[in-house]
Amino acid sequence: MRLSRKISGWLVFLVILHAIVIFAGFFAPYDPTEQDRKSPYLPPMRLHFVDAQGHFHARPFVYSWKVREGTFDQYDEDAARLVPLQFLVRGASHRLLGLLPSRLHLFGAENERIYLLGSDSYGRDQLSRFLYGGQVSLFAGLLGAGITVFLGLVVGSVAGYFGGWRDDLLMRISELFLALPWLYLLFALRAFVPLAVSPLQAFFLIIAVVGAVGWARPARLVRGVVLSAKERDFVRAARGFGATDGYLLRRHILPQASSVLLTQAAILVPQFVLAEMTLSFLGLGVPEPVPSWGNLLSTLQQYSVLVSYWWMYLPALLIVPFFLGYLGLGSGLQKSEEPEKMERNALGALRDGV
Amino acid sequence: MKSYTRRKLAGHPEEVRALDGVSFSIFRGTTLAIVGESGSGKSTLAFCLACLETPTTGNIWFEEKDIVKLAEKEKRAIRCQIQLIFQDPANSLNPRWKVLKILNEPLAVQGNLSHAEMTSRAHALLNQVGLPIEIEEKMPAELSGGQRQRVAIARALMLEPKLLILDEALSALDCSVQAQIANLLVELQESLGMTYLFISHDLAMAAHLADEIAVMSHGRIVEQGSPEEILKEPQSTVTLELLAAVPRMSFSHLQAPES
Amino acid sequence: MRYFLRRLRHAVFLLIGVSLLAFVFTALAPGNYFDEMRLNPQIAPETITALRTQYELDRPMPIRYAHWVISVLHGDLGFSFAYNSPVAPLLLVRARNTLLLTVTAMLLAWGIALPLGIWSAEHLGRLPDRLVSWGTAALLVIPDLALALGLLVLAVKSGRFPTGGMVSLNFESHSLPGKAYDLLLHMVLPIAALVLSVLPLLVRHVRAAMVEVLDAPFLLAAEGHGIPRRTLLYLYALPAAANPLISLFGFSIGTLLSGSLLIEVVMSWPGLGPFLLEAILARDLYVVIGGVLLSTLFLVGGNFLADLLLFWADPRIRTEMQA
Repeated sequence: MRLSRKISGWLVFLVILHAIVIFAGFFAPYDPTEQDRKSPYLPPMRLHFVDAQGHFHARPFVYSWKVREGTFDQYDEDAARLVPLQFLVRGASHRLLGLLPSRLHLFGAENERIYLLGSDSYGRDQLSRFLYGGQVSLFAGLLGAGITVFLGLVVGSVAGYFGGWRDDLLMRISELFLALPWLYLLFALRAFVPLAVSPLQAFFLIIAVVGAVGWARPARLVRGVVLSAKERDFVRAARGFGATDGYLLRRHILPQASSVLLTQAAILVPQFVLAEMTLSFLGLGVPEPVPSWGNLLSTLQQYSVLVSYWWMYLPALLIVPFFLGYLGLGSGLQKSEEPEKMERNALGALRDGV
Repeated sequence: MKSYTRRKLAGHPEEVRALDGVSFSIFRGTTLAIVGESGSGKSTLAFCLACLETPTTGNIWFEEKDIVKLAEKEKRAIRCQIQLIFQDPANSLNPRWKVLKILNEPLAVQGNLSHAEMTSRAHALLNQVGLPIEIEEKMPAELSGGQRQRVAIARALMLEPKLLILDEALSALDCSVQAQIANLLVELQESLGMTYLFISHDLAMAAHLADEIAVMSHGRIVEQGSPEEILKEPQSTVTLELLAAVPRMSFSHLQAPES
Repeated sequence: MRYFLRRLRHAVFLLIGVSLLAFVFTALAPGNYFDEMRLNPQIAPETITALRTQYELDRPMPIRYAHWVISVLHGDLGFSFAYNSPVAPLLLVRARNTLLLTVTAMLLAWGIALPLGIWSAEHLGRLPDRLVSWGTAALLVIPDLALALGLLVLAVKSGRFPTGGMVSLNFESHSLPGKAYDLLLHMVLPIAALVLSVLPLLVRHVRAAMVEVLDAPFLLAAEGHGIPRRTLLYLYALPAAANPLISLFGFSIGTLLSGSLLIEVVMSWPGLGPFLLEAILARDLYVVIGGVLLSTLFLVGGNFLADLLLFWADPRIRTEMQA
């Protein structure tokens, strides 16, 4: 499949973002579950290049926070404690891709903890939690979208190609699933599983549920494509060459559906990530202490947190580039969906000569 | 005697009789034209003959065998010997495939030859239909209507079929292109000894190409005869209507092909 | 008339299907569920045994389903263990509140999306269209959760809007217009969040549908007759584009319902959302089922309305029916 420049642009962008998340161990300075009870709700530390005396430092640095006199949760920059950023430091051990043990981190500091996105009530570094949380949420989204699209493909092609009672039955069932507001269905399905599940169980539960809810729309789309592809003359011609059903499906009909499916997948991933976020935010998804983008934001349910600790909101904004990537990819794929718009070119005739 | 066909009717779920009493024969190396207005059942006839659909009753005799009664596997073999050229080449060529892939497909489905062998045969056929070999790298969207139809013809000939059914194969082309493709078809018939079934609503073109004409209306054949007979002494109202539809002043310059 | 009946039959079929699904879920969980109930000190053991017999756990499935359907049709949606009262009345109050939000959001969203989409399609490719496209894209990439929370933050900072609940504590003491104003004030944030979350989708589809129609020759002919631009757009082009838009209407109801679930929780609006959440956390199953059924009822009902709208808007459907 020839990729247009737009599509490859978005693809590269997404790959970079995902790489950062996949290698969260390297890019994140700390272990996301590492607590520092002495530093709850620290605001994000600002990067400086020029210090209080006006000296320029080539290496960026931050100031430690010190508690303001007379308060217990207001902080000021402590000009006396200058913490330079070090790159490629050795820090907490982690496993790259879950396999290779390593202690290398992109940046860090000698004796202090650097909180570029601030800390939460347990003193955990929000940046690290965001990066690790992305692993969970993005993976859930991708896997969920994959399952949904696959189910839709199977159902849609059976319904469209074989028609008859299979088509009727499958379409009726899909209408049923489309008739349910998805979040309600998600809630209902979640309700029937015990509340306290392990993070792994919760993860797969979410994926299964989200995949089960969303297959109806792709299935109908695939069915439409299959129905119209079935009637195309080149399919008839291939039958005329002695092709079997399997061949026709594999090599002619389903490839027509591929672009529709890819577009669907690109659009579905953010939706499923959002579904996981919603569930986890409400406490029904991935439980603590495993971070996910949803439960990162769940403390914001408390009014006091929302008002006083604004940086807890930042992860929500950091998600935007990811969604942007998928949206761009999806819309690029949509535009490329029609290589088959062939007009009878009189122009072509003049150009090439018949 | 090569192809010899006779058929009764084909039904659809709501009992629409697409074909109702059709019977004729085609002899090897000749061209039979079936002419009729839209909806007369011509395409259904083509699909039945090509073994892509099954008539509800009746028989189709091809080389002394009734292909209606065959098992699916044998039918597949028969399909290779009767090839269809469709009306709209924009539809009959997979828009995502390159021309070479399209041409090689018939042999690729059989699975017997190597890529090189298939490609050389494809080149030979491209030659025969008057297309340059470079065209194999292009996509159908880059070709003109006439070029696409030539590709379709070349593809149909890949399997060395005994019978070629042309279902309105010229109708979607511009007038001048029609003439060129028609001439190509005549050439091929002479050089390859092809048997044609030419289906059309264009009586004039049919008369130009065919040895025998059958006029269809509402699923049955209403008149049959040589081109001169049909043109000079049309028997049925349908034929008269079809004649009237031809935008020409006289037919004297039309000749029946040498038999 | 025949069309109406056909869509009605279709809607009923959907409801039956959903109820079957819902019932199967309850039937799958009982053992688990009653065991958990026994652990709950708030519920007396006698209640449990009574409930077991009441819910006929020893009878075969089809009979249970039949009885359950009958009780549902009588308005008995089961029993809430957390509140120790029948489910139906509890749900209905919350449902009313949710409907208040969703219907208003629906009207507002479409009220904005239609003119915006049409305007955008009218100026295809030029500045207005570009602005709208960028705006919708910007809204689409912000996760709904972030949007809702962001609006809350804004409310807090500006101090002008209440940050939760449906009415203020001193609601009863206001005069009628005062009450209305208070309610309205509380509605602003949730409605804004809902509308913003669904607006980009609607605008894009309206624009796409209009673009397709605006190419049509019949419009050119009408313009040649000197028909003014606004009339052209709204009375000629829009009805022609109505078909896909009405299906979108049905779909948007579902999206809004789901969206309201989350937003109600975030903004503490006392609708079905927080209530259902509570029920899940408290393992109050019949409330959950009832809530799902109710929301499906809204969705199916909304789609049914959309079908009727389509019938009225698209004469082709009418003639098809008569054929």
